[in-house]
Amino acid sequence: MDDSKECFAQVRELTVAYYPENGAPVRALDGVNIELRAGDIVGILGESGCGKSTLASALLRLLPPHARCESGTILFRGRDLLNLSEKQLRALRGLEISLISQDPALSLNPVMTVGSQIGEVLRAHLPIDAQQRRERVTELLQEVGFDRSDEIYSAYPHQLSGGQRQRIAIAQAIACRPALLIADEPTSKLDATLQAEIVALLSQIRKQHGTTILVISHDPALFAGFADRIAVMYAGRIIEVGSSAEIFGRPLHPYTQALVRIAASSVVTGSSTRFQFPAIEGESPDPSRIPIGCRFEPRCSERMDICSHSYPREFMPEPSRPVNCFKYGK
Amino acid sequence: MESNLPTNSSIDTWTESLLCVKGLHKQYVRGGLWWKRVPVAAVSGVDFEILRGQTFALVGESGSGKSTVARCVARLEKPDSGRILIQGTDIAQFHWRDLLPFRASIQIVFQDAVTSMNPRFSALEVIEEPLLIQRQRSQGEYTPQNRRDLVRTLMEEVGITPDWMNRSILHFSGGQRQRLALARALALRPQLLVLDEALSGLDLSTQAQIANLLLDLQATHSLTYFLISHDLALVARLADVIGVMSRGQTVEVGQTQQIVTNPNHVATKKLLASAKPTASNLTALTGEST
Repeated sequence: MDDSKECFAQVRELTVAYYPENGAPVRALDGVNIELRAGDIVGILGESGCGKSTLASALLRLLPPHARCESGTILFRGRDLLNLSEKQLRALRGLEISLISQDPALSLNPVMTVGSQIGEVLRAHLPIDAQQRRERVTELLQEVGFDRSDEIYSAYPHQLSGGQRQRIAIAQAIACRPALLIADEPTSKLDATLQAEIVALLSQIRKQHGTTILVISHDPALFAGFADRIAVMYAGRIIEVGSSAEIFGRPLHPYTQALVRIAASSVVTGSSTRFQFPAIEGESPDPSRIPIGCRFEPRCSERMDICSHSYPREFMPEPSRPVNCFKYGK
Repeated sequence: MESNLPTNSSIDTWTESLLCVKGLHKQYVRGGLWWKRVPVAAVSGVDFEILRGQTFALVGESGSGKSTVARCVARLEKPDSGRILIQGTDIAQFHWRDLLPFRASIQIVFQDAVTSMNPRFSALEVIEEPLLIQRQRSQGEYTPQNRRDLVRTLMEEVGITPDWMNRSILHFSGGQRQRLALARALALRPQLLVLDEALSGLDLSTQAQIANLLLDLQATHSLTYFLISHDLALVARLADVIGVMSRGQTVEVGQTQQIVTNPNHVATKKLLASAKPTASNLTALTGEST
C-alpha cells in the first residue's frame, strides 16, 4: 500500500438512512465526503442531530439494525469497509480502528475491573500471555496519566471519577495501537479543566504514535489549536472543510461564520456582563422534513432566492477549501 | 436607589438581600449496606448572599459540591446545618408542609430537562403542573381555562408557539425542552430561579439562544438568577457576582470583573486557566483583539 500515506481513509458519497418501525425513513447522512490523511487530527463540528455520530458509527460499521448505508464507499487502507464480513470487521475493530465513546460510564463494564477490561482488548487481538498482558495494561495506564497504575488496575469503573473513566476508555481504545482513533464527543460530559487534560492526552497520543484521530464535537472551542483540519456538518451534510486556522480565521459558510462568532464571544474578558450573545435564530431542520434547497437557508442571514429551491454543490473558492454555499458560485 | 456596584443601569434595587446562605453543611452517606456506610461531606461551609435582581453564579469543578448547594437552596435536600435565609426567613430546617409557599418563589431548572419531565405529558401538562400543586394556596384562582391562557402566555414568553401546547414533550428538541422547563419554572412567577447547569450539554447556537432568553426574561420579570456551572467562560458573560467552590467550600466570592481579572484563590486560577487556553487559541485564530 504505497498510497496509504496519500489516502489513508476516505469516505465517498456516504448516505445512511434510518428506517423507524413506524414512520418515514430519515436520512441522517446525505452524500458525505471526507478524506483523512495519516497522522492528522480531523474535527467534525456539528449540532446534535446533524449526523456526526452516525458518521462515527458508520466508519466502524456499528450502525443499529434499523439503519442502512444506502450508497457510497468507506475506504480504509485500500479496503471498502462496507464490503467486509462481520468476521473481518471484528478483526478490524479495536485493532486498526477504535472508538472512544461519549459516555465512558455506559461503555465500560461495571462488573469488571478496569485492568481486565483493557486486557480484554489485547486478548482479542494479540497473541500474548497473561503476564505480558498485565504488563502491557500497566504501561497503558501510565501512558494515559495514572501514576499509581496498580491501584487503578484492580478498581471498578464506579470507583473512578468521570475524567478517570474517560482515560480508561482511551487506554482501552489505544491498547492495540490502532491507526485510526474515533473520539465521539470525548469531553462533552466533563468539566472545563478535565476537557483540557483529555485534549492534551489525545494530542500526545498522536505525537507519539502517529495515530490519525477523528474527533467529533459540537463545541468549536475544543478544536481550536487541537485539530489540523475541521469539517463542519449541518443537517446530514458536510458544508465546509478547512484547516483549523482557516475555519476560525476566515470561515466561508454563513453557518460557520455565525458559530465562530458565538465561540469568540464566550471568551473570558470580564469587561462587561449582560449583553446579548450573537445567536443563530431558529433550529436545524427536522431530519424527516429536510428542505429541497440549502438546509441552512431558513436560518441564514445572507439567503438569496436560489437558496430555497436548489442545494448548492461544492464550490472551491480557495485551494482545498470546499464549501457548499451559493455565495461562492452558481 | 443608590448602588455602588458598577453594572447595568436597569438594576436599581441591588440593596435588598433575596437569598443569604450562611455556614451551609451537608453530608451524604455512601455505600448501600449499613456496615459499609461512609459519610461524605458534600458541602462543608458555604457562605454567600444574592441581592434582588442580581445574577449570582457558583462555579467549580465537578464534585466541588455546587449542585448540592443548589438542591439545598431549592430545599430538595435538607441541609445538616447552616442557614438559608429567603428575605429574612430561615427555611433550612422547615418541614415540607411549611415550604409550599417558598417553593413558589424559588424554582429550579436542571441540566437535563427531559429527565425532569414526565415523558407522557404534553407541553401544557408540564407547564401547568406547578399551578396544580400550588392550587391550595391560590384558592381556586386557576380554572382550566385560566391555566390554559397562562400556559399560552408562558410559551410565548419562552419563544415556543402555543399551538404546540398539546404535543407530547418527546416531540420537542433539546433546546425547546429547556425552554419548556423555563416556562414551567416561571409559571408561579418566582423571584429566584436556580439554574443548575441549565446551559450545559446544549449545542453552541442553542446555548446562545437560551442565554439570550434568560437575559430577556430577567429584564421583563426582574428575576434573580442563581447559576450553577462549571463553565467560567459562559458564566462570566451572564453573572454580576461569581462565587468559586472547591471541595465543598466557597473559597472566593467577588464581582465578575474582579474574579476574572484578579483571581486570588488557586481554585479560581485553575478554572480560569482551563477556560483561557481555548480562549486564547480562538482569539489568536480569529484575529480578534477582544
